[in-house]
Amino acid sequence: MSEGARLWTGRAVLLAALLAIWQLGGTFVSERWISSPTAIVGRLADWLARDLFLHLGVTLAEIAAGLAIGVPLGILTGVTLGRLRNVSAVLRPFVVVMNSLPIVALAPLLIMWFGIGMLPKIVLVAFVSFLLLFFNTFAGARAVDEEQLDALTLMGASGVERFRKVVLPGCTAWIMAGLKNAVPYALIGAVIGEMMVSRAGLGHLVSRAGQQFDMTGIYAGLFVLMILGSVLNEAISLAERHLLRWRGPHGA
Amino acid sequence: MHMSGQTAFTGAAKTGPTLISLKDVVVDFATRDRVVRAVDGISLDMPEGGFTALVGPSGCGKSTVLNMVAGLLKPSAGSVTFEGRPVDGPNTRVGYMTQKDTLLPWRTVEDNVGIAFELRCRRSERGDKAARVAEMIERVGLKGFEKHFPSELSGGMRKRAALARMLIYKPSTLLLDEPFGALDAQLRLIMQKELLELVDASGMTVVLVTHDLEEAVSLADKVVVFTSRPGRIRAVRDIPIPRPRDPATLRFTDAFRDHCAALWDELRDEVAAAMATPHA
Ligand SMILES: Nc1ncnc2c1ncn2[C@@H]1O[C@H](COP(=O)(O)OP(=O)(O)O)[C@@H](O)[C@H]1O
Ligand SMILES: [Mg+2]
Repeated sequence: MSEGARLWTGRAVLLAALLAIWQLGGTFVSERWISSPTAIVGRLADWLARDLFLHLGVTLAEIAAGLAIGVPLGILTGVTLGRLRNVSAVLRPFVVVMNSLPIVALAPLLIMWFGIGMLPKIVLVAFVSFLLLFFNTFAGARAVDEEQLDALTLMGASGVERFRKVVLPGCTAWIMAGLKNAVPYALIGAVIGEMMVSRAGLGHLVSRAGQQFDMTGIYAGLFVLMILGSVLNEAISLAERHLLRWRGPHGA
Repeated sequence: MHMSGQTAFTGAAKTGPTLISLKDVVVDFATRDRVVRAVDGISLDMPEGGFTALVGPSGCGKSTVLNMVAGLLKPSAGSVTFEGRPVDGPNTRVGYMTQKDTLLPWRTVEDNVGIAFELRCRRSERGDKAARVAEMIERVGLKGFEKHFPSELSGGMRKRAALARMLIYKPSTLLLDEPFGALDAQLRLIMQKELLELVDASGMTVVLVTHDLEEAVSLADKVVVFTSRPGRIRAVRDIPIPRPRDPATLRFTDAFRDHCAALWDELRDEVAAAMATPHA
């Protein structure tokens, strides 16, 4: 057996063992509290036949819309302000303070402002991703290699060309770091918003199950969230590996 | 345009009108706790079409001089003029190969080498871009590495890519800061020969910084020896060895050895002085 096959066999065995213990555990502790794998699978099948994709779609739409607004705005603001030496020096302490705010704590405020539909969640995701992209790109723009800029200047590059060919790509690593933070935060923001008040979405599914003491429903909802989070994170890692392939084996 | 006239090949050191002129140039760098004088009153004229080499112990201000000619640094006192006008901003008439290569790490070799053609000011030359990039990459011996990123190249290969990136748009003046320092001896001779052929064919003006006396003598018409920091001019020597030269065979001639010996006499004391005082 190859190294990889052994590894995956080990993982499959571990997973099967955990599921078996969980399933058997239900006969000692009440299934009311810990539910069981078979019950969860049944519930997922039930949801699939009914409205799982509606809720998934709502959450995804909130994340996508929020990121579509927050990410480009954060990058542009960060890179622009970061390149303006004087402005960036004035802004730095504000950036540091904003950076230490747990942004999802803004959810109640946004719900009061924007109601209970998708809008407050979109605003929350946009805001979180804007700030994270802004912080990272701001730092990246300040760290751009001045000698690379000079080299292009001497070739006759205009300000716009220097920006597009050196500053923006020079910030890619920082932008990707921001995205890697922003995507999980976007999911957290959307779900927390939905759990507070909503009519649809994965967060809504989980909190509704909680209100009905429906353990199986909670676990099923968490399972879907876990899969969604993994897929999103994996997508970002793939994009990062592609975009930063020039970094070579030693990073930097 | 000083490139327009065919630079008639005379076989002797070229003496065109003065292209680059430094007058009583002083450069002070303010560091955290004190002011360091890097350059202390340098006056130097470099003719159009000439090949000038600057040698001196490390830290004596050679790179600083190139930075001023490129317009990236203003002298604290004195003046630097180019084509008779003061240099008061980035000097886009020069191609500058800095000591540390400034290849863009996210671009492949060919995308780095061709970057000049992407700039608006050179759009019109775009026609045969791909062919010129391929030809230039071959000239510097990087054929087969077109799709590699700088992180996948050795130091010497990066230097050659940087050289190709600069030569490809044929700037009329080249500023070269230790361009061949990271190359092994054989490759260095080959690159020196390539450079001489390009320069002789196009009548470029070259200012070369090197720590290698033999390199200075085999390439330049005029070698300027700097003192240890603060940099002043210790000696200037004309090298009237006829062109075209072959750096590989030149080194076995008596003239070459005499020039090197004379320059080494000047340089020796300065190197000793630089070693005696700690430098940055
Ligand atoms: N930006 C700078 N700030 C402070 N000191 C500098 C700076 N650039 C160069 N120096 C100092 O000026 C001196 C000359 O530097 P440089 O021109 O790079 O020397 P060389 O190229 O001859 O080795 C050195 O002592 C160096 O430490
Ligand atoms: Mg130097």
